[in-house]
Amino acid sequence: MSLLERLFGVFSFLGHDLGYAVSYLIQAVLYLIVIALLLILMIYLFRKFMARLQQRLGPNRVGKFGSLQLIADAFKLLGKESILPSERDNFPFVVAPMMVLIGLMLAFVLIPYGSLYWIGSITATHSAVSVILIFALMAIMPIGELLAGVSSHNKYALLGALRAVAKDVSFEVPMMLSLLAVVMMASARVSTPLDMESLISAQFLAYGILQPLGIFLFFIAMVARASYTPFDMGESDSELVSGYSTEYTGMRFAMFYIGMFGTILLGSTLLSTLYLGGYSGPFSSSIGPIWVFIKAIILVLISFTVWLSLPRIRIDKFVNFGWKYLLPVSFINLILVGILTLGLGW
Amino acid sequence: MSNLVELNMGPQHPSMHGVLRLRLKLDGEIVREIEPIIGYLHRNAEKLCEMDYFCDNIVYFDRMDYVGAMNMEVGFLEAAEKLLGVEPPERAQWIRVVAAELNRIAAHLVWMGAFGLDLGMLTPFFYCFIEREKILNIFVELSGTRQQYNYMSIGGVYQDITPKIIEEIKEFIKQFPKKLEEIANLFLKNDIFLSRNRGLGVIEKETAISYGVTGPILRASGVPYDVRKEEPYLVYDKLNFDIPVSQKGDNLARFMIRLEEIRQSVKIVDQAITKIPDGPYFNPKAKKSLMIRLRGEGEVYARTESSKGEFGVYIVGDGGVKPYRVHVRSPTFKNLSIIPAVAKDKMIADLIAILGTFDLVFGEIDR
Amino acid sequence: MVEILEEKKGKDGRPIFVIKKSDLLEFMRQKKQEGFDHLSLITGVDRKDYMEVNYHLYSFSKNQYIVVKVTTDNLTVPSLISLWKSADWEEREQYDMLGIRFDGHPDLKRMFLPESWVGHPLRKDYDLNNVQYINMDEYGEDYATFDPGDGW
Repeated sequence: MSLLERLFGVFSFLGHDLGYAVSYLIQAVLYLIVIALLLILMIYLFRKFMARLQQRLGPNRVGKFGSLQLIADAFKLLGKESILPSERDNFPFVVAPMMVLIGLMLAFVLIPYGSLYWIGSITATHSAVSVILIFALMAIMPIGELLAGVSSHNKYALLGALRAVAKDVSFEVPMMLSLLAVVMMASARVSTPLDMESLISAQFLAYGILQPLGIFLFFIAMVARASYTPFDMGESDSELVSGYSTEYTGMRFAMFYIGMFGTILLGSTLLSTLYLGGYSGPFSSSIGPIWVFIKAIILVLISFTVWLSLPRIRIDKFVNFGWKYLLPVSFINLILVGILTLGLGW
Repeated sequence: MSNLVELNMGPQHPSMHGVLRLRLKLDGEIVREIEPIIGYLHRNAEKLCEMDYFCDNIVYFDRMDYVGAMNMEVGFLEAAEKLLGVEPPERAQWIRVVAAELNRIAAHLVWMGAFGLDLGMLTPFFYCFIEREKILNIFVELSGTRQQYNYMSIGGVYQDITPKIIEEIKEFIKQFPKKLEEIANLFLKNDIFLSRNRGLGVIEKETAISYGVTGPILRASGVPYDVRKEEPYLVYDKLNFDIPVSQKGDNLARFMIRLEEIRQSVKIVDQAITKIPDGPYFNPKAKKSLMIRLRGEGEVYARTESSKGEFGVYIVGDGGVKPYRVHVRSPTFKNLSIIPAVAKDKMIADLIAILGTFDLVFGEIDR
Repeated sequence: MVEILEEKKGKDGRPIFVIKKSDLLEFMRQKKQEGFDHLSLITGVDRKDYMEVNYHLYSFSKNQYIVVKVTTDNLTVPSLISLWKSADWEEREQYDMLGIRFDGHPDLKRMFLPESWVGHPLRKDYDLNNVQYINMDEYGEDYATFDPGDGW
């Protein structure tokens, strides 16, 4: 039994077509709420974690231990006037933050979450090529950033967008190559290695242990994609004011902000699925989502530590790093995994 | 026809340390031309000084380098006391040294934190400011305010240092070196920090001298010029400390020089705090009620070492109760003028990093 | 040969050389060769009927400090930018504040105030009651105006 079927069980009086339509809609809304809550929880966690690291208190005014601070912030941002610059390209300017958010939300849906004990499987949708689909959806977000930078007609925004594109191009190839290694290794055991669920079932031993180079590459690429501090050249608040989001205010800015935190969570979830066995673990048939969540949160905390302790890399150094080191290393990783897969029959 | 993009950085910009405005000509990411435009915080303190009594001028100096205001007061009083012929008693001189050196530590900590922010490091900023806060708390005990102290006055200091404050300073000095190493490790054990700063923004010795650069930037370029050693004022000749010098002249050298200067300042405070002699803290000749009657004639230039470099005050008196002309040699004003030469043909990120090491405080540049 | 009109000691014990304006560049060149490589500051003083310009020189190698003083009645002084680069901003500042023109300065414009500012604030006859407002035009250039109605 999955979540969808349970919902259909409730709405079956509407008939087959309408019932499924309503259940899909409700399921989508539920996902949206859960993901939004998770993100709010994560931003709260980030702020508290940052405060601990910096020897200060963090949010502690709204609610117990400041737990309602993010809700208050959300209301504040909703109430703010969204100032539109007069020189903008209207359509792309308005659409850009939505693209970032929509790309993020859609990518979350494709991740397999396993089954929770009294609901059953809560994986939203299933596809035989879900890996490719996820990365296709994640590729929407840089386009949103680029659109935002170009349509603002602001030199800082343009420079930020150019940097973001240069950064994205140089880490995307190593990321895909390390993903290819995962799929290659899985293809020796399962018939549909592009399906995330069969990727998980193929991991008799977590791929992070078998492919230490691969998990390292993927982690760096994930940090770069989420564009926080060592790789936040797109925003680089001390140089380009705020990069591509310079001209955005209010809720539109919040969409970029949520987009960044969402990418961290998405990247961590993806990493835990591809390399750390996703929902598998002890009692995985009843608490699968909790395993996904625990693994993701550990990765998120690691990435926060990276964020808060490193300075920004210069863009040309990062591009150099991407092409001169990451790319050869990812090829080496691919070859090693090939040898493992063929030679040892894994 | 040039393909350069003109970018107006500032006066409102996160890393312009106030209101610096740079007109940049960019070739992609690379800065081809830099034109600093200043004056957005210009209050014409020199004119204000001409319009006020000598004893009232101290407040304008507090507002020049507002992160190191004690050093500004020392600088002004060195000149004004020579002009007016009022000698501060020995106890006041020692207290001034303690206050000035503590404030130098605070100013360097502010710089260090802000420099980290310029490079995108969030965390060291808070570590620096926690330590600075402890110094400011001592100053609150000492003078009553956190930043614009107005603590020293012509002929001494406004209020005596109490044994309790001395104890607090001793306590601070005892725990601070350990914390400083912690902060330094946040920077110096970081490969990205090192690789971004090593060899960047090299200032040659001759260039630095020609542009009139002073302070840590000059010392990082290999000139051991520190007014505290060259022309000792107050009681600096009775104290034992070293002047750090580096020959490299790059960003990292400037960082190391300032770090070492903090250590030396700690050393100075450590010595001075035990040596404060008993006696009056205020010259009775300049009693508060009579202070506005002090008259000065002639011209005096006094230089002191503020946290940014050679801080000079030039006062011309015409025998009246107000100065005839006051001119301030602001170290950062001179230091800033070298930026177009140093940061040319560097990337924007490097320009920000180089600017970060210059320790700009706009209250002092614009005056 | 440079004629030194007067040599005296300031109240702070620094030697002051009063020289003729026409000799300034020559005198400074000599001093620079003698090792005075640090031009510390340039100060103009408005003496009401004439202007006085003080140059503070320092020698790193000899640890000596001297003051060179020239006077001018027509508000022009030769520029020292060929000897010290630091003269650039110092001279611009003095031009801005006192209206002293430095002959030979390649880019003599105001340092702090916008170009259209009327008057030089540190002059003794500067009218403080005349309020001026600074605005910025659409190209980012500052300009000063007396009319508060403009652009507010």
